Amino acid sequence: MPRSKTKVSFPQFHFYNYPIKYFIEQGLDAQYITAPKMINRTLDRGSKLSPDYVCTPFKGTLGSMIDGLEAGANTLVMTMGVCRLGYYGELQEQILHDMGYEFDFINLSEYSTGKQRDVFRAFKRINPKYSLPKATKTFLDALKMVEYMDECEEIYYKNCGFEVNKGSYKKVYNRFLSAMDTATSRGDIEAGYKAFKRQIREIPLDKPDHPLRVGVVGEYFTVMDPFSNLEVQQKLCNMGVETYRYINVTHRNIHYNKAKNLRVGMEDYFKYEMGPTSTMNIWAAKDYAEKGFDGVIHIKSAGCTPEIDIMPVLQNISADYKMPILYLTYDTQTSDTGLDTRLEAFYDMISMRKKVI
Amino acid sequence: MKEAYLGIDIGSISTKGVIIDEKNNILASSYIWTEGNPLGSAKKLLALLEEQFDKEKYKIVATGTTGSARNLVGAMVGATMVKNEITAHAVGTTTLHPNVRTILEIGGQDSKIILVENGVAIDYAMNTLCAAGTGSFLSSQAKRLGVEVEEFGEIALSSKHPTQIAARCTVFAESDLVHKIQMGHSKEDIIAGLCKAVANNYLNNVGKGKKIVPPVVFQGGVSKNIGVKKAFEDALGCEVIVDENGHLMGAFGAAILAGRSSKRREFDFSVEDMEFKTRDVNCGRCPNNCEIICVYRDGVLIDSWGNRCDKGAIKVGQKAAN
Repeated sequence: MPRSKTKVSFPQFHFYNYPIKYFIEQGLDAQYITAPKMINRTLDRGSKLSPDYVCTPFKGTLGSMIDGLEAGANTLVMTMGVCRLGYYGELQEQILHDMGYEFDFINLSEYSTGKQRDVFRAFKRINPKYSLPKATKTFLDALKMVEYMDECEEIYYKNCGFEVNKGSYKKVYNRFLSAMDTATSRGDIEAGYKAFKRQIREIPLDKPDHPLRVGVVGEYFTVMDPFSNLEVQQKLCNMGVETYRYINVTHRNIHYNKAKNLRVGMEDYFKYEMGPTSTMNIWAAKDYAEKGFDGVIHIKSAGCTPEIDIMPVLQNISADYKMPILYLTYDTQTSDTGLDTRLEAFYDMISMRKKVI
Repeated sequence: MKEAYLGIDIGSISTKGVIIDEKNNILASSYIWTEGNPLGSAKKLLALLEEQFDKEKYKIVATGTTGSARNLVGAMVGATMVKNEITAHAVGTTTLHPNVRTILEIGGQDSKIILVENGVAIDYAMNTLCAAGTGSFLSSQAKRLGVEVEEFGEIALSSKHPTQIAARCTVFAESDLVHKIQMGHSKEDIIAGLCKAVANNYLNNVGKGKKIVPPVVFQGGVSKNIGVKKAFEDALGCEVIVDENGHLMGAFGAAILAGRSSKRREFDFSVEDMEFKTRDVNCGRCPNNCEIICVYRDGVLIDSWGNRCDKGAIKVGQKAAN
C-alpha cells in the first residue's frame, strides 16, 4: 500500500506560512495544510489550554495548531527557539495529546543540533523518500521568498500612510502576498515580486519632506505578527507616519551575523547577550535614534523576560538621544481601545514635538 | 458676541466640564460623579454649565471631549475635537504652567506621567496591566476605614509615624492594610501610610526609569488629597504644585484643542433634552465577532465604533431596528 501523504501544518505566524508551505509542498512533496487566519477564537481556545503565565505567543500558536488539526493536518511542526520557545513544542505536543488529538509532531528543537544530518532526519519524517537536491533548491527558493516578502513589507509600511487613494497600497500588497501564497516555482516568486515593485512605484503618494518616522522593535513573534500586536504598525501608518521594523526573519535569521558584531560600539549600554533578539533590538533602537527618528515603540508579550531585560537599556538610549519610547505589553486581554489611546497620545506627542524642534 | 469653547472630560469616576474664552479664561466649570452613566452625567454637567454661562455675551463655536467616554459623549454633543486624555492633560497643563517639566496624574482608574520640555510633551507613560495606586483603590480603602475619601489628606497630615504598607500591588497592599489594622495601628497612621504607598507605587510603576525634573505639577482627582501630595514631595525632594483647577485640566485641554483646530460647529444646549441610547451589536459576519457599539439620538444612528473591517460597516442615519 502506498504511504498516505503527510499533511503538515505549522502555526500561523505573520505571512511566513507561505514560504513554509512552498518548501513542504514543492521541496518535500508533502501536503501543507494552512491553518486558518488567527482570530479571537484561536487565542481563546489556546489560552484555555495554556498555563496562565506563559507568554502570549504560546497561547496563539497552540490555538493555531488546533485550527490546523481541525482543517485536516496529521503532522504538526513546531519551531525551535533560543528562549523559553525552545521548550514550547514539547509542552504543546503534550497538551494536545492529553486533549485526545492524534497527530505526528515534529519538534525542530530535537533536530537543531547544529549538524546538518539531523535536519535531514526531520525532513525524512515528513517524507521518507524526499530528494535532497530538490529540497535544497526549493529551500533556497523559500529563503528568497522570505527576503522578498520582508523587503516588500518594508516598502509597504514606509509608504502606505501617505497614499493619495485610500487602500491602493493595500491592494497591491495583498496581490503580492497571494502570489506568494500560490507560487509553485521560482519563476512564480520572481514574477510576483517584480509585479509588486512595478505596481507599487506607480501609486501616487502625498508625502511631506520630513514625515514622522517611528521605529518598531520588540519580541520576535508579537512584533512581527499583526494579529498579535493588534496591527500596531498599520494603525500608526494610518495616522500618517513612516514606520520601520528592522526585526524580521530576513534580518534575524537569514542574514544574522554574529550578535557580537552588532554590539561593537555599544559597550556603554550593555555587554552581554540577554536573549534571542535583545542585541538586535537595542542596536536597532540606537540606530533609529542616531538617524533622528521621532520615536520608537517597543512591543512585547506579557512575561517575556528577555524583552523586559532590555527595557532599562532602551530607557538609557531614550534619555541620551532625547527620543521618546513607548512600551507596550500585550496579553490575551489587551484591548484595541487602550492601544488606540496610547498610540494617539504618542502620535500627538511626537508631532507636536516635531513642530517645536 | 465673543467666541467660547467647551471641553468635557468624562472619566470612569468623574465628569468634568469647562467653558473658556479665547484667552483661555474659565467662564464656567463643573465637576460631578459619572456614577456609571456617562450620557446621563454629561447631560447633568451641561445643565450645570448652562446656568453659569452668559449666552448673551458668548457663543460656543467648538467642542472637545476627552476621557474614556470621549467617543460616546463626543457623538452626543457633536464634538469638533475628540482627543485622548494624555494629550488633553499635557496641553491643558502646559498652557497654565508653561515652565512645567513633569506632570504627575492620578485619576480614578488610570495613572500617567508626562515629561515636558520647552512646553511640549517629550515622553509619557501610562499604567497598563493594573490599576494599583489609583483613585478607586483609595476610595475603596476609605470605605473600609469608615472615612470619607475627601478627608483622607487632612487625616494623613496629622500622623507622625506613617504605617509601612506594602506598595507594588493593590491586592497585597489591601491584605497588608487589614493586617496593620488588626495589629492596632491608629487610623491616621494607616491613612498616612496608604498615601505614601500610593505615591511610591506610582513612582515605582508608572514613573519607573523616567527622570523627574522640577517644576512638578500633580493633578487628577487624587491630587486633591494633600496626604498624597506631601508623600510625593517627601519622595521627590522638591515642591509639588497642585493647581486649584487641577481636576479640570483634561476638560480644559480639550477645550483649548477644540479652539485651536479650525473645525467649527456651534454647540446647542438643547442636547440636554434629546434621548440618547447605545446598543451593542455583534457583527457576526466573520468569526472575529467584532463588538460594534452604536449610538442613537432620538432613534437615529449617529455614530458607531468597534468595527474592524468593511464587512461590519454600519451606515450613519439608520433607524434603530428595535
